[in-house]
Amino acid sequence: MTKRMSLFSVSMAVIVLTFMLAVSSVNISAQDATPTPAPTATPIVADIGSGGTHISFWNGLTGSDGVTLNEMLAGFAAENPDVSVTVEMIVWNTLYQKLQTAFVAGTQPDVFLLHASEVPQYASYGVLRDLGDQYTSGGGWLPDEDISETTMSGMVWDGVIYGIPLDNHGRGLWINTDMFEAAGISTDPASAPTTYEGWVELFQLLTLDANGNNALSPDFDPENVVQWGYTVGEWPNVNFLAALYQNGGSFLSEDGTTITVNSEAGIAALQQAVDLVYTYHVSPPAAGFDTWQGFGAGMVAVLPTGTWYRNQSLLQTDIHSMAWPNWQFGAEPATWFGAHTFMIPATTEGEKLDAVLRMIEWVSANQVIWASSGQVPARLSAQAELDAELYPSNILLGQNFSEYGIQDPRTTVTQELLTLLDVGLQEALNGIKPADQALNDAAALMQEALDRQ
Amino acid sequence: MAENTGQRLTEPRRFALPFKLNLRTREALAAYLFLTPFLIFFAIFFVRAAFSSFELSFYDWRLLRPNRPYVGLDNYVDLFNDPIWWDSVRNTIYFAALTVFGTTSIGLLAAVAVTRPVRGQGFFRILFYVPQLMSVGAMGLIWNWLLSTQFGVINYLLSFIGIRPINWLGDPNLVIPALSMSTIWWSFGFPMLIFIAGLQSIPEHLYEAARIDGANARQIFFRITIPLLRPTILFVTVTGVISHFQVFGQPYIITAGGGPGRSSWTVIIYLYQQAWVAFRMGYGAAVAVAIAMIMAVITVFQFLLISRRVDY
Repeated sequence: MTKRMSLFSVSMAVIVLTFMLAVSSVNISAQDATPTPAPTATPIVADIGSGGTHISFWNGLTGSDGVTLNEMLAGFAAENPDVSVTVEMIVWNTLYQKLQTAFVAGTQPDVFLLHASEVPQYASYGVLRDLGDQYTSGGGWLPDEDISETTMSGMVWDGVIYGIPLDNHGRGLWINTDMFEAAGISTDPASAPTTYEGWVELFQLLTLDANGNNALSPDFDPENVVQWGYTVGEWPNVNFLAALYQNGGSFLSEDGTTITVNSEAGIAALQQAVDLVYTYHVSPPAAGFDTWQGFGAGMVAVLPTGTWYRNQSLLQTDIHSMAWPNWQFGAEPATWFGAHTFMIPATTEGEKLDAVLRMIEWVSANQVIWASSGQVPARLSAQAELDAELYPSNILLGQNFSEYGIQDPRTTVTQELLTLLDVGLQEALNGIKPADQALNDAAALMQEALDRQ
Repeated sequence: MAENTGQRLTEPRRFALPFKLNLRTREALAAYLFLTPFLIFFAIFFVRAAFSSFELSFYDWRLLRPNRPYVGLDNYVDLFNDPIWWDSVRNTIYFAALTVFGTTSIGLLAAVAVTRPVRGQGFFRILFYVPQLMSVGAMGLIWNWLLSTQFGVINYLLSFIGIRPINWLGDPNLVIPALSMSTIWWSFGFPMLIFIAGLQSIPEHLYEAARIDGANARQIFFRITIPLLRPTILFVTVTGVISHFQVFGQPYIITAGGGPGRSSWTVIIYLYQQAWVAFRMGYGAAVAVAIAMIMAVITVFQFLLISRRVDY
C-alpha cells in the first residue's frame, strides 16, 4: 500500500507539474521564427493632465485603441492645462454592468464611451444629456453634414440626439497574402467573389489537409486539416447580421415589434455558415478554435474580423496580411459596423460639463489621429484626410461601411437580443441543433425579451 | 512567621451588574460580545442582503428603470416554466457530482499518500496544494489553452498515442467533463488538507490492533480509515457541493460564458445572464433564491445520508 501510495504521489506530482510546465512552454511554431515586438499595455486607469477641473471618463477600449485614445487625451490636456482626466478602461461587458450600477448609486462618470447601439437603452432611462446643441443644426460646433446619415441615425432616440460619434468600426476580412499567392488567387480586393459559390470555392482552394490537398481535391482529408480557408467562430453575431441582410432578411419587422431573424432569409444565411463547417469543411467548428491565434499561427487564410485588427496585423511581422472587403454570400453586399459614441450623463454640469464638451470637441477635431487605432474616423472630413499608404484598411473598410454598412438593431434591449441570438448561432455552428431549429428557438426567446422592454 | 504587611493582593474590580447572572449565562454573554463585530457585519452584508434579495424576487425591476412593479410569484412561475433553467440545473448537478466525486476521491488518496512517511512528503503536500492558490481567472485561461483543439497541450500529448484532436470545449457531451477535469486539478488540494487533518486524528492504536489481527493494507483502509473519516468525508462533500454548485468562473472563462450554445450553462451562469446581461434584477433574485433552496435540500440530504455517530 505504501509503495502504491508513493507511486500515486509521484504520478499526481507528474500530472500537476506537467500541466504547469506545459503552460509555460506552449509556443506556436509559426510565431517562433521572428520575434514580434511586445504590444504596448493599455493602462486600466490613466490620470492625464493636472488641471484643477477634474473629469472622469469611462470606456471599453482595452485594446491598442485605448493607447491611441490616451495619447490623444494627453494632447488635449496639454492644450487645456486647467483640465485633468481620469480615464478608466473597462472591458465592454463589465462596463455595461458597472455603468448601470454606477447610475443607480449616483457614482457615474462625467462622460463615457459606448456603442451607438446602446443609445436607445440609456436614452430610454432618461439618464443622458441631450447633445443636439453641439451640432451646427442646434447652434453647436459639429457640422451635421460631416457625419454620414447611417452613423447619425445611431446617435438619435425618439428624435433627440444623445451621442457624438468617435468612429465607425466594423467588419472586414484579413487575408494571408502568402497563402493566397500559393493557391494562385489574386490578392486584389476588386477580384473578391460576389456570390456564395464563389466564396466557397475560394475557401476550398485555401483549405489544405496534411498531405497538401486542397478541399476541392477528391483526395482531401477533412479530418486532418492543417490550413483552414476560413473560420466561422469569430464573432458569429455580426457575420450573421451581414449574411441576413445580404440574403434580403431583417432583424426586426418594420414596426420594430417582431423578431424576424428566423425568416427564410435568416435560416438560409445561417445555413450558409453551417455548410462552410460541415459540408465544405473549409472552417473549423466555432467552439474550441481561437481565430486570432489561428491566423497568427498561419493556420487560417481568411480571418473575418474588423478595423480593430490593423494594429494586431502590424505586430505579426511573420504573417503577411492585408484587409479585404467582407464576403458577399447573398444577392446584395452588406457588412456590419458600429460607432463608438461619446455620451454624457444628464447629471454632468457646470465646469465639468464645460471640460467634457471641450474634450469631446478636441478629440473630434483630431480624429485623423484616431485612425492609427485601426478604426475609421466618424467625421467624413477626417476620413478624406487619411493617408492611403498608412491607412489602407481604414479607407477600404470605411468606404464599405458608407456604401452598404448595416448596424445593430435599435431597441432598448439590444444587448440582450444579441446575447440570445449568439447562443442560437453557436448551437448551429457547433452542430448541436439544425440551423432552422436553433434560429427558431433563439427567435422565440428574443421575442419574449423584446415584448418585456 | 510571615509579617502581615497589611497589604492585600488586589484583584481587578468587576463591573457590578444590578442583577445576578449564572456562570453559563455570563460565558454566553461574553461569547456574544466577542462575536458582535462579526455579527453586525454579517447582519448588514449577508442577512440583510439575503432578505433584500428575497423581497426583490417579487418585483419586476430593470436596474435603471425608475418603476419597480410588484409581480407576486410571477418570477418563480416563469422560472419553473423555463426549460433553460432546468437545463442549467441539470448541467450544474452533473458538474458538481463529477467534481465532488473527483476532488473527494483524489483528495483522499493524495492525503493518504502524503501522510505516509515517504521521502519528500512536504514537497508533495505543497505541490498538490499549489494549484488551489491560483485565481479562477488564471486557472481558466490556462485550461482554455490546455484544452484548445488546435493548440492545446492535452491534444498534443494525445497525438503521441494516435488520438486525433478532440474538441473538448466544442463538443456538448465533453464540455462538462472537461470543465470538471480542470476544476478537480485546481481544487483537490483543499479536500486533501482536510483529509490529512482527519487522518491524523484517527488513533494509531486502531491501526496497530488491526495489523496485529492480520489485516492487510486494503482492509485497514476500507474498514478503519474510511469509516472513521466519515465526518471528514461529510464535511468535504457538503462544502464541495456548496462550492461546486456555485460554479461560474470556469464556464465563464474556459467556455466563453457557458458554450457551446448553452451546453455548459450552470445555474449561476443563468443567474448572471438574467441579472447582469438582461438586467432583470427581480427575476435574477428569484433565481438566487431557487439556487439557495436547492443547495439547502441537497445539504440536508447529504447530512441524512452520511452523518452517523462515530465512536472511537
